[in-house]
Amino acid sequence: MDGSEELDGVFRALADPTRRKLLDELFARDGRTLGELESELPMTRFGVMKHLRILEEAGLITTRRQGRSKLHFLNPVPIRLIHDRWVSKYAEPWAAGLSGLKSELETEPAEEESA
Amino acid sequence: MSNEEPYAVVDGAAAMTVFEIYIKTTPERLWEAITDRETRARYSFGVEIRSDWTAGSAYESGVPGVIEIAAGENVEVDPPHRLVQTMTALWSDDVKAVGESRVIWEIEPVGSSCRLRVTHDGLPEGANSEVYGGWPMILSGLKTLLETGELLDTPGSLRYAGATEG
Repeated sequence: MDGSEELDGVFRALADPTRRKLLDELFARDGRTLGELESELPMTRFGVMKHLRILEEAGLITTRRQGRSKLHFLNPVPIRLIHDRWVSKYAEPWAAGLSGLKSELETEPAEEESA
Repeated sequence: MSNEEPYAVVDGAAAMTVFEIYIKTTPERLWEAITDRETRARYSFGVEIRSDWTAGSAYESGVPGVIEIAAGENVEVDPPHRLVQTMTALWSDDVKAVGESRVIWEIEPVGSSCRLRVTHDGLPEGANSEVYGGWPMILSGLKTLLETGELLDTPGSLRYAGATEG
C-alpha cells in the first residue's frame, strides 16, 4: 500500500456523473441548500440527498448551518491531494511546457500590435 | 418564511469558502506548523509568516526582500484550537483591491488525526479568486509535511522556495 488509501472514497465519489454534476454546481455557485441543488437535477430529493451524503463522507463537500438552512460548500482540498499525489507526477512536466508555449503564442500578437 | 440572510455569490465564488483536511498529527504540532515562521514557509510556496501570536497582535507574511503576501491582525488566538485573523492580500494590485477579509483556522482532534478547517469569509462580492484559491495547495503541502516530513515538489509549491538565498 502506498499511503493513499484515504483517497479511495474520493475516487469512488468522483466515479459518478450525478456527483460530478453536483460538484460543478457548487463550483459555479457555492454555499447552496438541498432545495437549490435538487432543482438543478432530474432526480428526487432523496436521490440528491444520497449523493450529497457520499460526497460529504469523501470530504468533497462540507456543510454549515445558517439559520434554518443547511448550506453545502465545495471542498476542493481532496482533489488537490489527488493532483499532488498523482497528476503532478505524471502530467505536470510536459503540461507546464505546453502552458508556457500557449501563453507565448497568445502574447505575441499583442506585442506586435503594441510595437 | 425563512429569515436567512441573502448569500452573496458572484462569478463562481461565494462570499465565504470552507476548506477541510484531515492530517495525522496532534493539535499541538499542527498549531506549531501554522504559526512557526520557518515551518510555515516550507509548505506555503516559501512564504514566511511573522507575528508574536498574541490576541490583537499584527502579523505579516511574505518573502523578505522579494514580495509581500499578506498582513492583518490576530483577532482570536486560542492554541491549539482556534485562530481568527483578518487578512489583506498584498501580492498584486488586483488582490489589494479586494481589501480586508477574514480567515478562521479550527483544529479538532479526530481519533489519531486532526481535522483542520480553514474558513475564508468576509470576501466582497466578485472577489478575485486568487485571494482564497491558494488554500488547497497550502493545506495539501501542510499534510504532506506533517505526515511524511517531505515537501511537495510541484512547480507551484516551489514558487518562492529559496528565493531569499544567494
